[in-house]
Amino acid sequence: MAAYIIRRIVWTVPVVLLVILMTFLLMREIQGNPFRKTERAVPAAVQANLERKFNLDEPWYVQYALYTKGVFTFDLGPSLVLRDRTVNDIVKEQFPRSIELGLLAFAWALVLGVPAGVLAALRPNSRFDYGAMFFSNVGFALPNFLVATFLIYFVALRWGLLPTSGWTSWEHRILPSFTLGLVPMAYFARLVRGTMLETLQQDYVRTARSKGLPHRRIVLVHVLRNSLIPVVTAAAPLLGYIITGSFIVENIYAVPGIGRYYVTAVSARDYSVVMGLTVLLAIIVIVANLVVDILYGILDPRTREAHA
Amino acid sequence: MTAAPSTDLGRPPVESAGAPIRQSSLWQDAWYRYIRNRGAVIASVIFLLLLAYCALAPVFSPYDPNEVDFAIAHQAPSWSHPLGTDQFGRDLFTRAALGGRISIGIGFGATLAILLIGVSYGAVSGFVGGRLDNAMMRFLDALYGLPYLPFAILALAIIGTVNFWTMVIALSIASWFITARVVRGQIITLKENDYVRAARALGARWYRILLRHLLPNTLGVLIITIFLELPGVILGEAFLSFLGLGINPPDASWGSMAQDGRDAYRAYPYIIVIPSIAIATLVLCANFIADGLRDALDPRTRET
Amino acid sequence: MALLEVEGLRTHFFMREGVVHAVDGVDLSLEAGRTLGVVGESGCGKSVTALSILRLLPEPPARIVAGSVRFDGRELTALSEQELETIRGRQIAMIFQDPMTALNPTLTIGTQVTEMLRHHLGLDARVARRRAVELLDEVGIARAAERLDDYPHRFSGGMRQRVMIAIAISCEPRLLIADEPTTSLDVTVQAQVLDLLDDLRHAHQMAMILITHNMGVVAETADDVAVMYAGQIVEQAPAAELFSRPEHPYTEALLASLPDLERSDPRGTRLTTIPGRPPDLISPPDACRFAPRCPYANLEDSCVQAPPELREIRPGHLVRTAHPASERALAGVAP
Repeated sequence: MAAYIIRRIVWTVPVVLLVILMTFLLMREIQGNPFRKTERAVPAAVQANLERKFNLDEPWYVQYALYTKGVFTFDLGPSLVLRDRTVNDIVKEQFPRSIELGLLAFAWALVLGVPAGVLAALRPNSRFDYGAMFFSNVGFALPNFLVATFLIYFVALRWGLLPTSGWTSWEHRILPSFTLGLVPMAYFARLVRGTMLETLQQDYVRTARSKGLPHRRIVLVHVLRNSLIPVVTAAAPLLGYIITGSFIVENIYAVPGIGRYYVTAVSARDYSVVMGLTVLLAIIVIVANLVVDILYGILDPRTREAHA
Repeated sequence: MTAAPSTDLGRPPVESAGAPIRQSSLWQDAWYRYIRNRGAVIASVIFLLLLAYCALAPVFSPYDPNEVDFAIAHQAPSWSHPLGTDQFGRDLFTRAALGGRISIGIGFGATLAILLIGVSYGAVSGFVGGRLDNAMMRFLDALYGLPYLPFAILALAIIGTVNFWTMVIALSIASWFITARVVRGQIITLKENDYVRAARALGARWYRILLRHLLPNTLGVLIITIFLELPGVILGEAFLSFLGLGINPPDASWGSMAQDGRDAYRAYPYIIVIPSIAIATLVLCANFIADGLRDALDPRTRET
Repeated sequence: MALLEVEGLRTHFFMREGVVHAVDGVDLSLEAGRTLGVVGESGCGKSVTALSILRLLPEPPARIVAGSVRFDGRELTALSEQELETIRGRQIAMIFQDPMTALNPTLTIGTQVTEMLRHHLGLDARVARRRAVELLDEVGIARAAERLDDYPHRFSGGMRQRVMIAIAISCEPRLLIADEPTTSLDVTVQAQVLDLLDDLRHAHQMAMILITHNMGVVAETADDVAVMYAGQIVEQAPAAELFSRPEHPYTEALLASLPDLERSDPRGTRLTTIPGRPPDLISPPDACRFAPRCPYANLEDSCVQAPPELREIRPGHLVRTAHPASERALAGVAP
C-alpha cells in the first residue's frame, strides 16, 4: 500500500516539470511575454526587475530551469502591469477565494447530486427517476452564464433574497457556488444512478439478498460502497470543469478570485501573472489526480494488488 | 414469432423450433436500433432543424443583421421580429441564425480537428505499441486533466488574432486528449482480434492493416465521439466569447451575443436568453444523439 | 407434510419483446432431509424455479403470476419482503453457480460470513468470528483463522465456492438450494465440492435441491430427480428408478447422449444428440413442448393438439407425455 502511494507521488514530479516546460515554451511565443526582450513600453524599474527575475539574457533552457526553480520555491516573479506587486501577492490574495468557491460548489454537488442519484437508482423508472435525469440533462446543457443570469434576476433582484455580486458575507457565497455546482451535481446524479443500477445487478447483491440480510444493510454496505468508488475517480475531471466554470462564474458574480483575474490579466497583457496562474492551475489538477488515485487504491483493494 | 411445431412431424427439420435468424449488416442493425430510440430520433430532428434555421434564415431574412436602428431597439418578440431586437435595433432572429453559423461552424470545425489530431495520435500510439506507446501515453496522461479554458486562452494569445479559424485551432489544441485515448484503446482492442492476425499472417503491410481493418472498425466510435465532443467545444466557444476573449463584433456568435445581452438582461432578457437556449438545445440534442448512437452501435451498454 | 411444496408455479418475465414464460406450471415436493435433483438443459427454467422459491428475481421484469410455494406450511408467495428476510439464509439458503461473482469483492471473507451470523443469530462480533473460523474449517479451507481477513480475489474458484457453502450453512438452514454449484469449477474440484455438500447435508440434516444440467452429478447425490424442459417438469421419479426406467422421450434422449465408455467399441461411434432447439418461451406452443423434437410424435397424436398433463404412471413416478416408454413397449413401437 505504501509502495503504491510512494510510486504515484514520485511519478508526479516529471509530469509537473513537463507541464511547466510546455507552458513556458508556449508563453515565449506570445507577443510581449516576459521571457523575451521586446520593445515593450515598460518603466525602467520594472524592466530591471524583469531582467533580473526572468534572466532574459540566458538561453531558453536556463530560463526554464530558473523559472522552475522559482516555481518550487514559490517565487513566481513580478507582475508586468502592477508595479509594486508580485504574482505571489496576487495569488495569495485571490486564490483562497477561488478555493472556497470550488469547495462549496463541490459540496453542493455531493449533498444534492449523490442522494438524488441513489434515490433514482432505488426507484428506477419512477417519476422521481425521470425527473432527476431530466434535470441532470438540462444541467449539463444549459450554459452556466444563463443559469447565473436567471438566478441573479430572480433570487437576487426580484425576490431580494441574496446579493447579486461580491464576496463579503456568507450570503454572497450561496449563488455563485450553487451555479458552479450545478454541472457537477448533474454529473454525480447520473454517475451514481448508473453505478448503483449496475451494482444492484451484480451477483453478489443477489447473494446478499439470499442471505436474508435487511435491505438497508445491503444498500449501505454492499451496494453503496461499491457504487461510490467511481464517484471518487470522477472528482478529478470535475476539477477541470470547476476551474473552467469558475472563470465564468467569478466573472458574472464579481467574485475576486483567480478565474476572474486570469481573464483580467490576459486582457491587460500581464503575462507573468498569466504564466504563474497557468502553472498553478496545472499543478492543482495534477495533485488532485494524485489524491484521487490514492483514494481509489484505498477504496478498491483490487487496484492495490494490480499495481503491485 | 410463433414457434409452431413443424406440420410435417415425420422428420422434424432442425430449424423448426426457435425464432428465425435474420441476416443483416452491422450498419443496418445499428440503423434499426437507432430509429427505435425515440429520444435520439427527436433529438436528431431538432438538431437538423436547428442547422437548417442557421443556414437558411439569414438567406430569407429581409433584415440586414448589422444595420443599426435605435428607433426599434430592445423590442419584444413580435410578428415582424420573431425574436425581438437587440440594443442596436438589429433583428435577433437573423442574428441568432448567423451566430449559429459561427458557433456551430466552430463547433464542427474544432471537433473535426480534434478527431484528426486524436485519431493520428491514438492510432500511432496504439498501433505501434511498445515503448513509443508508453511514452506517448505518459505524455498524454500529463496533459489529460488540464482544464481546456486557460490553454485555449493561451493559444489564442499566441496566435494573436481571434477569428473563426483561430478559435477552431485554439479549441481543438486544448481538447484532443480524450479522443486520442479513446482511439488508442479501440486500436489496441482491435489489434488483438483474429482477423487482424490473419491479415498479418497473409503478409499485409502495416498501413494496409491500419487503413483497411482497424480504422473502419473504429468508425462507429468516432461518430459517437463527434457528438460527444461537439457540446464541449460549442460551450468552450461560448465561454470564450462571453468573457470577451472570443469572437468580436460585428461578427456574432452565440457566446458573444450572450455577452451583449448580459448587461441589459434585467429589462430585455431575451438578448441573452435566446442564444443560451440555442446553445442548450444544441448540447442536449448532441447528448441524446450520442447516447442513441452508443446504444445503436453497442447494445450491450444499454441500461436496464 | 413435506418440507417444501411447490404447486403450479408460473413465473413470467415481462420484457419489451413480449412475456417470457420461463416457468410454466411446476410442481415439486421435497421431504426434510432428502435431496431433489433438478436437471435440464440451459434455459429450461430450473434456475428461475429456484429463484422463485426464495423470490430473488427482480420484480419489475419477473413476476410469479400463479402457483404456490409452501415451506413448512407457510405460503412464501404471500409473504412481505420483511417476512421473507427471516426465511432467507435462516431457513432456506442458496448457493449460486459462479463463485467468482457471487462474493462481494470489496468486503473480506470474514465480514461476509459473520454478517449472517450476527444478523440471524444475534451473535456478537467476537463469537461470530470464532464461529466463522469453525465454519471455514468445516468446509475445508486451510488456515481459516488467518484467511478470515482476506478478500475474495485471493481465493481460487473452488475455495470461493467452499466459502459460499460455509456462508449458506452457517445458520443451520432446513433447506439448501444449490444452483449449478459445480458448473464453473474444474472437474477435479467438482467431485470434492459435491462430496462436501453431501457430508454437510448429513451432518446438518438439511434437505437439498441440486440444480444441474449434468446427469452424472445427479446420479451420485440425489434421492429424487425431476427433469425440466421448456419451463415445465416433464418427469419426476426416485433417482434409481429414473435412471433404470425412464419414461419420457426427453429423459431417454438425455441419458442416451451421455458418452458411454463401457460399450464394446466406444471408438468410431458418434455422440448422440437431440436434434432441434427448445421452443421460444415468449409464445410457447399450445401442445406438448417437446413434440417437434420427439421421435415418437405424429400429427394425429393427442399431444400435438393439446399439452399433456403430468400424471403418475407408477407410484412415485410422474411423467408428462403421451408416449411414455412403458406404453410404447406394450404397443411394440421401436425406440
